[in-house]
Amino acid sequence: MRTLLTASLMLATLLTPAMAQEGNLVLYTSQPQTDAQQTADAFMAKYPGITVEWVRDGTPQVMAKFRAELEAGAPQADVLLIADVVTMEGLKAEGLLLNYPEADTTGYPEDLYDEDGAYFSTKLITTGIVYNTAATMIPTSWKDLTTPEAEGQVAMPSPLTSGAALIHTVTLTENLPEGWDYYTALAENGAQASGGNGGILTAVSGGEKLYGMIVDYMPIREAAKGAPVAFVFPTEGVSAVTEPVAILQSAKNPDNAKLFVDFLLSEEGQQLAASQGYIPAREGVALPEGYPDRSEIKVLSYDAAAALANETANKERFAEIFGQ
Amino acid sequence: MVPAVLAVLAIGVLAALPLGRLLITAVIGENGLDLGPLISRIMRSATQRAIFNTLDTALVGAILAMAIGAPFAFLVAMTDVPFRRLQGFMLLLPLMIAPQVTALAYMQLLGPSSALLGTVGLAPPPGTPNPLLGRGGIILLYGIQHAPMVFITLRAGLAALPRDYVEAARAAGAKPWRVLSTVVVPLIWPYFIAALALAFVSGVGNFGIPALLGIPANYLTLATLIYRQLASNGPSVLPQLAMLSVIIAAIATAGLAIQAVGLRKPGFAVSRGLPARFELGAWRWPVAAIGSALIGVMLVLPLAALVTTSLVPAYGVRLSLSTLTLDNYAEVLLRQASTIRAFFNSFYLSSLAALILALCAVPLAVGLRGLPMRPRQALHGLLDLPYALPGIVLAVACILLFLRPLPLIGSLYNTPWIILVAYLMRFAALAAKPVDASLGQIPPQMSEAAAAAGANAWRRLVTITLPLAAPAAVAGALLVFMSAFNELTVSALLWSNRNETLGVILFSLEEAGLSAQASAIAVVTVGVVVVLLLVLDRLASLLPAGVLPWR
Repeated sequence: MRTLLTASLMLATLLTPAMAQEGNLVLYTSQPQTDAQQTADAFMAKYPGITVEWVRDGTPQVMAKFRAELEAGAPQADVLLIADVVTMEGLKAEGLLLNYPEADTTGYPEDLYDEDGAYFSTKLITTGIVYNTAATMIPTSWKDLTTPEAEGQVAMPSPLTSGAALIHTVTLTENLPEGWDYYTALAENGAQASGGNGGILTAVSGGEKLYGMIVDYMPIREAAKGAPVAFVFPTEGVSAVTEPVAILQSAKNPDNAKLFVDFLLSEEGQQLAASQGYIPAREGVALPEGYPDRSEIKVLSYDAAAALANETANKERFAEIFGQ
Repeated sequence: MVPAVLAVLAIGVLAALPLGRLLITAVIGENGLDLGPLISRIMRSATQRAIFNTLDTALVGAILAMAIGAPFAFLVAMTDVPFRRLQGFMLLLPLMIAPQVTALAYMQLLGPSSALLGTVGLAPPPGTPNPLLGRGGIILLYGIQHAPMVFITLRAGLAALPRDYVEAARAAGAKPWRVLSTVVVPLIWPYFIAALALAFVSGVGNFGIPALLGIPANYLTLATLIYRQLASNGPSVLPQLAMLSVIIAAIATAGLAIQAVGLRKPGFAVSRGLPARFELGAWRWPVAAIGSALIGVMLVLPLAALVTTSLVPAYGVRLSLSTLTLDNYAEVLLRQASTIRAFFNSFYLSSLAALILALCAVPLAVGLRGLPMRPRQALHGLLDLPYALPGIVLAVACILLFLRPLPLIGSLYNTPWIILVAYLMRFAALAAKPVDASLGQIPPQMSEAAAAAGANAWRRLVTITLPLAAPAAVAGALLVFMSAFNELTVSALLWSNRNETLGVILFSLEEAGLSAQASAIAVVTVGVVVVLLLVLDRLASLLPAGVLPWR
């Protein structure tokens, strides 16, 4: 029986030309627990010969783990699937990423993947405004958060803690005509910057704050369950992180890693992202319920290379404005 | 001499190894030893503020824990107050609930969306900041969270209190209050100091409470400052983190030095048998009512808030018949395989850690007693440090130590065993402290008499020291189990696929904004722990007297 199984497996390997399709794949990701499990399960369902071992945590913690392993000379991960492009730019500059220029990027706008094929965006996670439905003022624009009605009522993730929040800050300061003065106005209006997105959702749905800056999928998902929150895409536009995937130079299973990247970028992988409540990066894949039409979401651009170069300066400036 | 050498070796592995690795990262720059960065780090205003906040909250929190835990320890151990066993039992619960869950429960209880306050029309209007944010809330929750430590430690001391002294004092006509202040308190003084030090050190190293109550208000302690540094700058700041860790270690050492001063008091001779009892007479029922009310406010109300949140579809939804749902439980228990696995992992890892540490605690403490006073205190202090440091720092040290394959055992990384080793390092102090306190009270005459009668050292250990120290060892094991079962910060960096712990699951749900699901897990955890304790309670007759702190 066992021989038969092995034989048929070998035959299957012979018949499918491309790559290994068996063995292991070690994924380090910042996706939430449930989503990471679903992604791994879907990939393993497609490639039953490959076992995905995944580790999930916030991007900084995942990177801490990766760096510690690197320092000790035994990096474990094959693939990184983390929140933002800025971190990937840094890794690419250090020569830690494996280029995969052959990846099929049909349906992806050019600004969503690296020109050398070092990393590829898999979805859009935009940051907009959440409000508690008990609030009397319904915000439509970023500037509404600096009005007297919002005084002392705004919570936002701190760029000192959250990578996505840093990108959000950079995007807004680059695109709003007020630049950094917008954040000064927020600080003067008593806005509170701390922690990550989960804490903002808890604060706003718990009614401790009425308004918050937050990633789209959290309040949209919770509002569908009945939480007293609603999400707004402000008129000026939203910032976005793109949850890029990259293969590591030190990958022990580079072929399986390439299959994984292909899977995430494929229509099937993108539909999985949509079913989890995210905006798929690939054009032509429908957005999940609760979102407006793709054409109505205005994503503001930012300069990732500059964001990386000015990271410390931006954080210090923010810390100064908010007295942290 | 042999036991002393073994004890020193054990402490070397458990404490000196990880701390040494950190110290090397902290002070060895590219050009060798360099203390400059460490000193400039201390001079920063953010660091100084965090140092002050840490000292402030840990100290006041420890005093509050003493104020809550000590009266209960006395009532449960030494009086005939009704429901004392139940009260003692309930008082253990805060320790078994993860700090971040306690914080979450209290915030739910007192915030604008509080279902409980809402029903009586007392909920603050939407837009009111949570009253628990900041210094006061952190101190309050340190006091509640660490009261069980005080309770367990003092309870162990009271159980060993010689009954004859109390009875002699009563027979001589002393009023109960006088007996308490002139006989009981002086006799168990070392336990007081040990309990206070434990609570203080626990506060210094606590992360969950200041993370939830401090970070949103930008009130940072050293533990949260380290977390923010790591989260903000990534692992490139490892040397700075190591420096902040060295500062925390210094603070903890100072706390332990105070403990050493307290312990200079001479020990007393223990006798086994029924502990001394006070009769409260007419005060029995009022005292029971006050105790129950306190426990109700401290425990039942926040737990009720937690249960309420676990029953609504999303955080912020009011609980009513139409919103009531068991979906959160179904999701975490049935749909997510990881939760069940995490329960199992946390259970066996913390049981193993408790068992190993309980078995080693007595030989370790005996070995240390063979050393002169000063090195002995220094070694005990060293053993406390991995517990006082934030877990995330110990975790980084463990990764640096165990990632590369070791001879014979290979690489521990990506296995559950690295978590076990880290638990042994982190919680050794919890197991050693009660045992050391109890050893200090075994009269040397007993051992001397046995030696004179021809018993060798091994025989003396087995027939005299072990039985007398056993209750303290089991109490220590309980402390280790309960702390490890809920810990988050150590395993946060050390867990690997299929080796997740409860804390990790809980935190990742909270991070994803799924407070309702997180609450469901927390409720189940509390349930599991209560069942475990009830099983222990059933087994009480098989255990030595005074082992179960609530009996």
